[in-house]
Amino acid sequence: MATEPKPAKDDVKVDLFEDDDEFEEFEISQEWDDKKEGKEVTQQWEDDWDDDDVSDDFSLQLKRELESNTVKN
Amino acid sequence: MAYMSMGEAHRRITEYLNSFSDAVSSQDGASFKSLFALSSNAPSLLSLADALNIFQDANRLIKQSDNYSQFADILVPLFRSLQNYRQNNLLEAYNAFEKTANAFIQEFRNWESAWALEALYVIVYDVRVLAEKADKELASNGKSPEKLKGAGSVLMKVFGTLAGKGSKRVGALYLGTVNLCRSVIRSIETARIFDFEEFPKRDKVTYMYYTGRLEVFNENFSAADYKLSYALKYCNPQSSANIRMILKHLIPVKLSIGILPKSSLLEKYNLLEYSNIVQALRRGDLRLLRRALQDHEDRFLRSGVYLVLEKLELQVYQRLVKKIYIIQKQKDPNRAHQVKLEVIVKALKWLEIDMDVDEVECIMAILIFKNLMKGYFAHKSKVVVLSKQDPFPKLNGKPQLIEDVIPIWQSSYNLGPVSSRS
Repeated sequence: MATEPKPAKDDVKVDLFEDDDEFEEFEISQEWDDKKEGKEVTQQWEDDWDDDDVSDDFSLQLKRELESNTVKN
Repeated sequence: MAYMSMGEAHRRITEYLNSFSDAVSSQDGASFKSLFALSSNAPSLLSLADALNIFQDANRLIKQSDNYSQFADILVPLFRSLQNYRQNNLLEAYNAFEKTANAFIQEFRNWESAWALEALYVIVYDVRVLAEKADKELASNGKSPEKLKGAGSVLMKVFGTLAGKGSKRVGALYLGTVNLCRSVIRSIETARIFDFEEFPKRDKVTYMYYTGRLEVFNENFSAADYKLSYALKYCNPQSSANIRMILKHLIPVKLSIGILPKSSLLEKYNLLEYSNIVQALRRGDLRLLRRALQDHEDRFLRSGVYLVLEKLELQVYQRLVKKIYIIQKQKDPNRAHQVKLEVIVKALKWLEIDMDVDEVECIMAILIFKNLMKGYFAHKSKVVVLSKQDPFPKLNGKPQLIEDVIPIWQSSYNLGPVSSRS
């Protein structure tokens, strides 16, 4: 019984490490070309996603839910 | 330590002293800087350190010639620092190096041009790195780590020297690695004396990362977006750990201004804790948002973005009401812009969120206030009447209103007859 809490503690520690990793310092002599891949990572965004489409599962369920019985007036 | 004779040690020390005075007299910045790069563990400096540990009386050599003795304030502590560094006495190494740094700054002020700037840069770098190492040593001996703070004041001194002087001002650019230091940030950003773009790229990226995080903390999302996007764009594509760190803070910022990361991005940089949040925004799924925040609560709290993510709730409400509106429109386009509060209550109940009509009305009022929704209430009939034109304005990269009060005259929406005013 007394040994049980131990592994749980270890888990927390591992997790802490994972998230505490800091911004790595670039070496003093480090130079790089940002032309190619730097661009790629900046193009991974959608700013026009808010469409009128309601054919996804969530919307269909919502629709069914709203129609399930008439709302009181 | 490799064996070295006394004569060999003597020769190496003199050689170093000669390079030092040669570099000064010819103002050769490139060779000068290599004489200070302690923490780079350059073989030439390591063997000098070995020589110093064998030939114990190097200070006598420094005082022998005027060429060296005029720099004794720099050289004597530098030698002591090297010796200690080699023997892994990091606290002593730092203390001595700090003396060297101060003497160097003094000397640097006297030189007319900024030829020794690169050497200064190396010194500034080493001061910080050594301070970090010294602090580790202090901490492991149970003492309070305070050297990094001391290094900070050395850096401030350097910054003051550089920012104050004409041709040396460019040098201030090199100090961008000073993290989260308000007064420096202010002078970097307000001073017109230099162009930010002149910084080395690694410093620009680091600077933008840290100041960007500061903007997130202060909820200046436009500025945070600009700075973190800059860091992302110019970060070394090889260092994916750093890209991940940038994204960790940029994604919440982007979400809060209505921009979603593609799932390929989340996958590539292992940031899957955000995928349910993105999904929740797309769907208008409040339950999913709350669940995602709960599941990764400690992670989000630790990186300081929890509060930012929590505020996404309003956007999810907006999306949900919009979906209800679209569904109504498919059934009856003429009456779709009237949304009964009961309907929203019902949708929320389906999402396991218990709210009564009054609470929902309150949320709708906030949406209207934040310009996430355009419309008004028919309070008595418990209906929110949506504007026929653009009832759900998109954020499109603009931060939503936080503190500002919307001026009353802006609320002149193009609506039908106002039935709610009693």
